[in-house]
Amino acid sequence: MRTVLTVDDSASIRQVVANLLTNAGYRVVEAANGAEGLKQLQAGGVNLVVTDLNMPVMDGLTFIREARKLPTGKGIPILFLSTESDAVKKQQAKEAGATGWIVKPFQNDQFLAVVGKVLR
Amino acid sequence: MAPAATPDQAVDVLTLEIGTEVFAIEATAVREILDLVPVTEVPGARPFVGGVINVRGRIVPLVDMRLRLAMPPAAPTADTRIIVLDIALEGEPTAVGILADRVNEVVQLDLGMLEEAPRLGLRWQPEFIRSVGMRSGRLVVLPDLERILT
Amino acid sequence: MSGSLPDPAETYRQEAAELLDMLEQSLLDLDHRPDDRDLVDTAFRALHTIKGSGAMFGFDSVAAFTHEFETAFDRVRAGLAPCSRALVAAALRARDHIRGLIEAPDATDPAVGDTILSALHAAVSDDAAAPAPALPPTAPESASASPRTWRICFRPGPDALVNGTNPLLMLEELRGLGRARVTALLDRVPPLDAIDPESCYLGWEVMLETAAPRSAIEEVFLFILDDAAVRIEPPSDDTAAQAEPGPAAAIAATPDLAEAEPPSVVPPLRPGRSDPDIGRVGGSLRVQAERLDALMDRVGELVICQARLHQLAGAGADPGLTAVAEEIGRLVSELRDTTMGIRMVPIGSLFTRFRRLLHDLSRDLGKPVELVTSGEETELDKTMIERMADPLVHLIRNAVDHGLEAPDAREAAGKPRAGGIRLVARHAGAEVLVTVADDGRGLDAERIRAKAVENGLIAADARLTEPEIHQLIFHPGFSTAREISAISGRGVGMDVVKRTIEALRGSIEVTSRPGHGTEVTLRLPLTLAIIEGLLVRVGRGIYAIPLSAVEECVELPPDEASRGGFSLLSIRGALVPFLRLRELLRTGTAPDPYQKVVIIAAGEHRVGLVVDQILGSHQTVIKSLSRLHADVKTFSGATILGDGTVALILDVAQLLEIGQAEEERGRAKLREAA
Repeated sequence: MRTVLTVDDSASIRQVVANLLTNAGYRVVEAANGAEGLKQLQAGGVNLVVTDLNMPVMDGLTFIREARKLPTGKGIPILFLSTESDAVKKQQAKEAGATGWIVKPFQNDQFLAVVGKVLR
Repeated sequence: MAPAATPDQAVDVLTLEIGTEVFAIEATAVREILDLVPVTEVPGARPFVGGVINVRGRIVPLVDMRLRLAMPPAAPTADTRIIVLDIALEGEPTAVGILADRVNEVVQLDLGMLEEAPRLGLRWQPEFIRSVGMRSGRLVVLPDLERILT
Repeated sequence: MSGSLPDPAETYRQEAAELLDMLEQSLLDLDHRPDDRDLVDTAFRALHTIKGSGAMFGFDSVAAFTHEFETAFDRVRAGLAPCSRALVAAALRARDHIRGLIEAPDATDPAVGDTILSALHAAVSDDAAAPAPALPPTAPESASASPRTWRICFRPGPDALVNGTNPLLMLEELRGLGRARVTALLDRVPPLDAIDPESCYLGWEVMLETAAPRSAIEEVFLFILDDAAVRIEPPSDDTAAQAEPGPAAAIAATPDLAEAEPPSVVPPLRPGRSDPDIGRVGGSLRVQAERLDALMDRVGELVICQARLHQLAGAGADPGLTAVAEEIGRLVSELRDTTMGIRMVPIGSLFTRFRRLLHDLSRDLGKPVELVTSGEETELDKTMIERMADPLVHLIRNAVDHGLEAPDAREAAGKPRAGGIRLVARHAGAEVLVTVADDGRGLDAERIRAKAVENGLIAADARLTEPEIHQLIFHPGFSTAREISAISGRGVGMDVVKRTIEALRGSIEVTSRPGHGTEVTLRLPLTLAIIEGLLVRVGRGIYAIPLSAVEECVELPPDEASRGGFSLLSIRGALVPFLRLRELLRTGTAPDPYQKVVIIAAGEHRVGLVVDQILGSHQTVIKSLSRLHADVKTFSGATILGDGTVALILDVAQLLEIGQAEEERGRAKLREAA
């Protein structure tokens, strides 16, 4: 089973993402910030990461950068959530090593379509 | 391209000595290691953060763990170093300098070997310890810096 | 991580509150600049997010109402209706209604919502529509449905694999669109010994035969932001599409453009320079505040470094080095000024926030208000502007609530029924003056005096000039609970306003003429980032005192030098309390034989600080202390000296407070002794 790591400081968003992906047949692990996310990623076995950018402790950009340095973080798709369709944020996140993005708020099928786009 | 399943349970830690204890700090948190620099005293501050230093233009509080962990004071020696760390204090990323009597090497510490803090054998409060492990026959302490500092 | 999960609805409420503020600002701005497309887009985006998240978190009534709102507003965005005053007014009410639906759904009346929506729809209906008729939306590519052959060239770049991009998935997606012939481009593959196994050197050329529109092909490369990485060449007969920008640019930068109408129906933007706002938008760049702060930090470091270089060059005798050091000194000070200039933002951004405040105050109090602002272009450090907001809100409330008379009373006094509020900003040297003025009844000196006597602030027979009486309203003991009204109480919080302004190293003045109105003026320094400091030595420590607070420096009289504890110093006939910093900072050192007293002042409070030595002035780059020193109140920050060591900056407001407390204690003791 494919495992998705969702990193978000908002428990409600994590919940929404987790429900959606669990129903679609993925296994979901959660983290509340970048630092926790790195720990989860380090443990291995994650096939896809969906992360928020704006988080306390360790923000999304730093998290993505650090994740790409981990042997378990290299090469896996990392998608980030952004509230606004902000071109600058996208550029920054891509430079940090993100694979793509999902614009909040999202409809369930949109979300799954993007996941399907980067992970099979 | 798919990540190989790695048994990557080990973390890189910097080991250092304060008094008779050996501490380990996750290497990812370490920003730099400095020789002793001039320290500016902050009157009225809690004794264990009694000073600040200039780290490349940033004002960084200097923490003396000896005072926090009730160890006897000691004068600095040629081996004394300041370890500058990035940690989160109450959710805010903060740079903190820590005085160490000696800095040893960065080693891989097996997470599996680290144990929950035992309530025996150590001179100080168990809530300050995240976990302990053994390395070359010596007890290594992974301190909970956020608890220690707040 | 399981623990107590925050309520998702609460998350939404917070997010929505921010979006609603954004919406409100855009609408108020649109009232003045109805043609500003950016404002329309911002408002639309806020609505869109409120709706989308609302549906996600079960705020169905919010989502439904906002959907209607959005639909109406979309006509403005599409250029089908002008952004009229009536629309802005209705939209503001709609915005408030959404807030009500989120915060107190049970207390909102659906009928009110319907009224607002009909007002909205009326405001964007065809009667009010723009002159140009709507053109049917035509997408150029949908015109032909027969398959055409596109040439697509895709070079993902070396980091692509590490960053999780899977080119194979993309090629497969292209295959899903039609018949594809894929050729690998191998020209960038280096010799074997130079190959990094994690890098991607390959590119692909795809000849794709498809009936799908260009947008479907671009969709495949949605996440590729680098224009150079993807080239989509249309079939050779399709020249119109050739002129289109690269796919990445079109998708990333202007997501809404695809749906936008042809330019002819967009409200005309005058091409001339007649509208200053348009020119400004075109030439400006949004930068994150943190980046500016980081830049300021670096410049601060450079200033410090330059001070060291200056010291070294001065000590040596190398003329070449001296010349370079001077040149660098000049460049650094220019760079500093430029950087501080970047942090400056026009105060107009703050003034616009007050329009809604006045709008609502006027309605709640039944007093028509005419707002006049001037000097919106006056620039001030952004942090300063943020911190000034609350005090100004307070002053404006006071002015409307207490300053302005009721309309009938105004008429009787021969004034226009609408009260006048003026908000004025202007530069004066290194300071900015911000004035809140009303043309109301003016301060009642007799009442203020009577109340000050009643509250024990002044003796019943005290002789005070009118300005001195006016100053009493800033005294912490002036206001009484009895005064508090729903909007404000004259005097309530005026001491807080004063303290806030003084914490910004500013001052506050009030002038008033009975029957003509009241004017409150704030004087503020231009910036908080770099100040002139006076360096002093106390014991072995070096400290900085903001020079703007320093009134004068005198020698400590020898008879005082030997004593400890409380005493007063006679400075030009006035008695000033003083603090021995050696005692306050517990230096544990013996005093210097000739101690100095630095007199610091803010408003009418003064206190002397006894130091061992005065070292001179210093360009002080203010740095904050970390959370670990949040409990230390004596210092407002720290700075770095020429030799790289840290000096703490004394907190003037705090020391004045300590001084006053000491003085009161000291006087009480003297009274006891007598």
